[in-house]
Amino acid sequence: MRAYGRVMDHRVQGVDHVAFPTFDPAATVRFYRDVLGFPVVHSICAAGWGPEDHPDFIHFFFDIGNGDRIAFFYYFGARPEIGGAAGAKGDVYARFGAEVPEFFVRSRHLAIHVDDEADLLEYRRRLDESAWPVEMQIQHETIESIYTHDPNGYMFEITRAMRPVTPQEDLDANLTIDALLDVVAEPEPTFGKLLARKAELIVAHAAEWEPAR
Amino acid sequence: MTTLYVLDVPENLALPKVAAEDPDVAVGRIGPYFVISAPGPIVIDRRATGCRHAVWYSSVAAVAPDSRIVQHDKDALRVEPA
Repeated sequence: MRAYGRVMDHRVQGVDHVAFPTFDPAATVRFYRDVLGFPVVHSICAAGWGPEDHPDFIHFFFDIGNGDRIAFFYYFGARPEIGGAAGAKGDVYARFGAEVPEFFVRSRHLAIHVDDEADLLEYRRRLDESAWPVEMQIQHETIESIYTHDPNGYMFEITRAMRPVTPQEDLDANLTIDALLDVVAEPEPTFGKLLARKAELIVAHAAEWEPAR
Repeated sequence: MTTLYVLDVPENLALPKVAAEDPDVAVGRIGPYFVISAPGPIVIDRRATGCRHAVWYSSVAAVAPDSRIVQHDKDALRVEPA
């Protein structure tokens, strides 16, 4: 087996911060601090320096729980055009033409975790009273999520698990990834080839698997 | 022979149960997976399982190399000998 048991120490401690540019710091602060109630926990006021004619900027951070943070850069004097022409889809950072499929545009997003339905509905209430109401609330049977877009166009999700993740799902995930690596190493990978390769890996490895090691 | 594998998690339990209603279908286990097998086609009716989209379309863990999925839509999952 390749990686079904944890071989290396796992020392990391979650998200320190994830950072995005903003051209509308006022709306960004309204959305994260005033609507959602995420505290401002850090900010850096920096004069531009370096060889690239770097603008003066504010780098500001909101707490998203567990001490994890979402951060923004506001560059004085920078306009959205700095990132290229406006797109028909996407956000202020990633701009896409009208022809780009929605599943692809939505595939890169941030999802913030809550513990239960009451917490999910509390954030739904806060968003629905704001200028950025919830656009979708979806129960995917094992998780439930609310979605909106923040003032910068970034897709924003809050999600809860409807049951704990089981140990066998970790095994299944590792078998899936090993099967995926095998099929993408060959020409023309398909879902059918992955399911067939995974069957071979299940036969080879699943019987010896024991939960709660 | 037709064989498909379904992970044993709560929302998948209806699949082996519905499949086993066909007397030609056998349901066994390997580790945490149900092994659903039959000499010919295996057909599972989605509505009989009560599964909605997210679970239904992600409920197949694997399909034996000698079998293939010929239908997996809102009505049914059908696996046949390849």
